[in-house]
Amino acid sequence: MNPFSPFALTLWTILILGLFGLPIGHSMIVGSIIYLLITGLDLGTAAEQLLNGMYNSYVLLAVPLFLFAAELMNISKMTDKLLRFCDMLVGRFRGGLGHINIAQSIIFAGMSGSAIADVAGTGRISIDMMTRNQRYTVSYAAAITAASAVIGPIIPPSIPMVLYALISDASIGYLFFGGIIPGLLMALAQMVINTAMAHRRGFPVEKPIPVREWPRITFAALPALLMPVILLGGIYGGVMTPTEAAAVAAAYAFLVAVILYRNVSAADTYGAVLASARSTASIGMLIAGALVFNYVVTIENIPEVVRNILSGYNLSPFAFLLWVNVILLVLGCLLEGSTIILVILPIFIPTAKALGIDLVHFGVVTVFNIMIGLITPPYGLLLFIVSAISGAPLRHVIRDTTPFVLAMIVALAIITFIPETVLWLPRLMGYKG
Amino acid sequence: MARVTGFGRSMNSGRLLAIGRWLRRRAENLAALMLATMFVCFILQIVFRYVLNYPVGWTEEVSTLMWIWGVLWGAVFVLDEKDEVRFDIIYSAVRERTRRVFAVVTGVALVAAYAVSLPGATSYVTFMKVERSAYLGVRMDYLYSIFILFSVGAIVRYGWLTWRAMRGRGPDVEPGSGSAL
Repeated sequence: MNPFSPFALTLWTILILGLFGLPIGHSMIVGSIIYLLITGLDLGTAAEQLLNGMYNSYVLLAVPLFLFAAELMNISKMTDKLLRFCDMLVGRFRGGLGHINIAQSIIFAGMSGSAIADVAGTGRISIDMMTRNQRYTVSYAAAITAASAVIGPIIPPSIPMVLYALISDASIGYLFFGGIIPGLLMALAQMVINTAMAHRRGFPVEKPIPVREWPRITFAALPALLMPVILLGGIYGGVMTPTEAAAVAAAYAFLVAVILYRNVSAADTYGAVLASARSTASIGMLIAGALVFNYVVTIENIPEVVRNILSGYNLSPFAFLLWVNVILLVLGCLLEGSTIILVILPIFIPTAKALGIDLVHFGVVTVFNIMIGLITPPYGLLLFIVSAISGAPLRHVIRDTTPFVLAMIVALAIITFIPETVLWLPRLMGYKG
Repeated sequence: MARVTGFGRSMNSGRLLAIGRWLRRRAENLAALMLATMFVCFILQIVFRYVLNYPVGWTEEVSTLMWIWGVLWGAVFVLDEKDEVRFDIIYSAVRERTRRVFAVVTGVALVAAYAVSLPGATSYVTFMKVERSAYLGVRMDYLYSIFILFSVGAIVRYGWLTWRAMRGRGPDVEPGSGSAL
């Protein structure tokens, strides 16, 4: 490629501005404006693409609503009840608190679409619980908290899958159902690692909870446990669209907090609204930038160019998936995940289609992969967060997360090469793919 | 080093800061209100359709509008530097002085690009006066005017960040800034 072609100069601009610390959304807009300037296109095109793109992407409204639902769940302190429930289920096994942490993430994943919300809401409590009386090292507690939070956006609802639906036109509902088994597989992989670690390092078991207390504990956790049932049932039953489901999730969390637990103040609620508005602006800016930049990518016909280059290699679908996975894992170490979904994935989608790869399968695999990037150094957002809330040095957290990352990559290989692990459930729900 | 030039000046800058903080709070109130409105619209939409069996379209329009306005408004007037999604491996590793150079380069580039495209953007937005929204019939140039506010806001914000970096104060950094995943 000519390094001075308009498109190359656009890429250079985005790359340099991005490396110099300009927010990525703005970098993409500035780069695209430069493209418009060089090619002599109307400079109003940037505004046009951004505004029309945002105006016509109704599915994206799920993003702020899922964020809001997660914030509300966090202030409602459902978490305490959930942890007790998970203790009841898995506390008795060796490394019990680690298992509790993972089980709790599975349930939380069914209510929230964001790994960061998971860590922000429950991370501190889980880490405190594990490190009390020095039963687990701080870095291990932080590592397992970060790793298990990754389950959040795999098991529905899922913000990254909403973003993927935007760029691929795959059905959000089926993507959600497709994420369930891979999410559970990820949890299983983590529990295997936790069990191995527990035996090697001699982690304690929790005192079993007497059976007569089970009904009470289950009942207290019930409102939280019901949330996934309401969401998925509503979507499957056609009662609501996935976007509306996000609003229902938020309303449900609000009602549970205000009416049932009665522990949420007006100030808390305002805080939750504002926090969601902030995250919305931050990710929305990225989406806005991607909309403008993707226009440039479309004019340049980049996805087709990539497809043509790749078809020259006669890749089999499996080889293609393998390469995409490797590329995404590497990018995941360096880039923030939603950027990868919005900017990099569109380049691969035409090739995936041409190779006959199912787009729901492709979506779940790539989102799964990109979410592993949340805990791979040097740029692993969750690593920074757990290191900050636990006080464990980053390098210790990275060391203790590594076995989890490797186990998750094994799980990734399984869902990549056995498409049924992803597609079985959506097909059961009527997916014709 | 900042030179104190008298009581009047420090009082003025103190008052300016207070006004800035006050404006910031109001900008936050508005952003929160937009998100709350979006949420309420969705709930109304579901209630109208499934409970009252009377589907309405305007809720969809208002919530979409709140989404665009919420993002563009929030991006310029509410987000802190630490909330932004950025690539900060290099940025957070370099010395403060280098980071200030980065801030100047990126700031100048953004201000220049947004300023150059502002006339084009304005003419696109004003051109949209010929269209009206589907349900409420509001002129689209009104709805899209947020983009002009966004561009001007971004120019001012980055102009200020650039000026601040040139005067010797680099941007605040915190690894792992912003994301919603």
